[in-house]
Amino acid sequence: MDPKDHQPLDGFDQLLRPHMERLYRLAWRLCGNKSEAEDLFQDVLTKIYVRLDDLADISEPATWLCRVMYNHFVDDRRKYSRQRMVIVSEAALPEQSVESLAGSDSPSDNAERADRLLRLGDALAQLSDEHHEVIQFHDIEGYKLKEIQEITGDPVGTVKSRLHRARARLREILANDGTFF
Amino acid sequence: MMNCEQLVDKFDDLMDGSLDAADMKALSTHTEGCERCQQMVSRETALRNLLQEYGDSNVPTPTATYFDEALVTAARTGRKQQQNRSWLKGFGSALAAGLAIWFFSGAFVQAPVGPGTDSGIPVITMAVEEARTVNLVFSSAVALDNATLTVNLPQGIEIAGFAGQQEITWQTSLSVGKNLLPLQLIATMPTDATLLATLKHGEDDRTFRLRVDVS
Repeated sequence: MDPKDHQPLDGFDQLLRPHMERLYRLAWRLCGNKSEAEDLFQDVLTKIYVRLDDLADISEPATWLCRVMYNHFVDDRRKYSRQRMVIVSEAALPEQSVESLAGSDSPSDNAERADRLLRLGDALAQLSDEHHEVIQFHDIEGYKLKEIQEITGDPVGTVKSRLHRARARLREILANDGTFF
Repeated sequence: MMNCEQLVDKFDDLMDGSLDAADMKALSTHTEGCERCQQMVSRETALRNLLQEYGDSNVPTPTATYFDEALVTAARTGRKQQQNRSWLKGFGSALAAGLAIWFFSGAFVQAPVGPGTDSGIPVITMAVEEARTVNLVFSSAVALDNATLTVNLPQGIEIAGFAGQQEITWQTSLSVGKNLLPLQLIATMPTDATLLATLKHGEDDRTFRLRVDVS
């Protein structure tokens, strides 16, 4: 590594570090695959570095950072062409296998749960982009409606009705394949 | 007393816990006595749990050093971008000031800009690790707004402050007369190659060539 790589990070590390995991998860959610998620994550970190003075003045940096990432993703959607995760496969989870996800239940319960996760991933992949996105934000990542508004710029009412329709569509897909409902 | 239809209407709010206390109590009372709604709530609870489990399961955990490296890379790239902006801003000012910055030293080459003109190929000679300022002068018969200037460097030649960058592009404007671009070149290895500076405006472009002989 170049010696100048070891130059002080000028508070960058201190300001960013608490939010890195959340940002990484968001990148993954938006892109749906590791390679593009890491490109997006890296591009946004660089963008934030250039705007470090702005970050220091932000009262709620977590949401601001997510908004920067979301806007960057939307602006550059062609580059981060979405490749949806269709299934949760064991091969994709080297450190957290489907078996380990299933906890301490019996082998048959484990298999059933793993199968449901696979079916859920498949159903999510069938949603429209905006439905997929709002489910990811709210029901998977646990963002509140207000946070989604601040990140996407859409009014809370719009987000809420989109979420309602997205859930209805998801239930319909799961009902059709016999997973739920 | 609420009924099944009302519960369906308020189902998302019920599951999200965003109902007011009175509605929550009314729906709970209804659900206690309605097997169909109990099943609906039970299925939805299972789905919400599964969504959370799905969320926890399919985002890979980066390696321990990944975040460290990402921060260092971002800082390095960010600094480079800041340098670019600062340098380009300086050049833009120089252009705006016309000949007011006529302080250069070192090699001096001139690139005529205008219809039907061709530049020759001047040569400069450098030694490895030598830094040398080359002043490119673009003479324009007309003012050019929103021009694009691209400098392509051959292997073995760098511009000070832009290590590893073989191509630098920016938007600029040219005033009538002579416009100066000082480039501090650094020779990193022996070469005999051509540096290209291309000025593009609309559909027109002119390329200035400078042969750099590093021995």
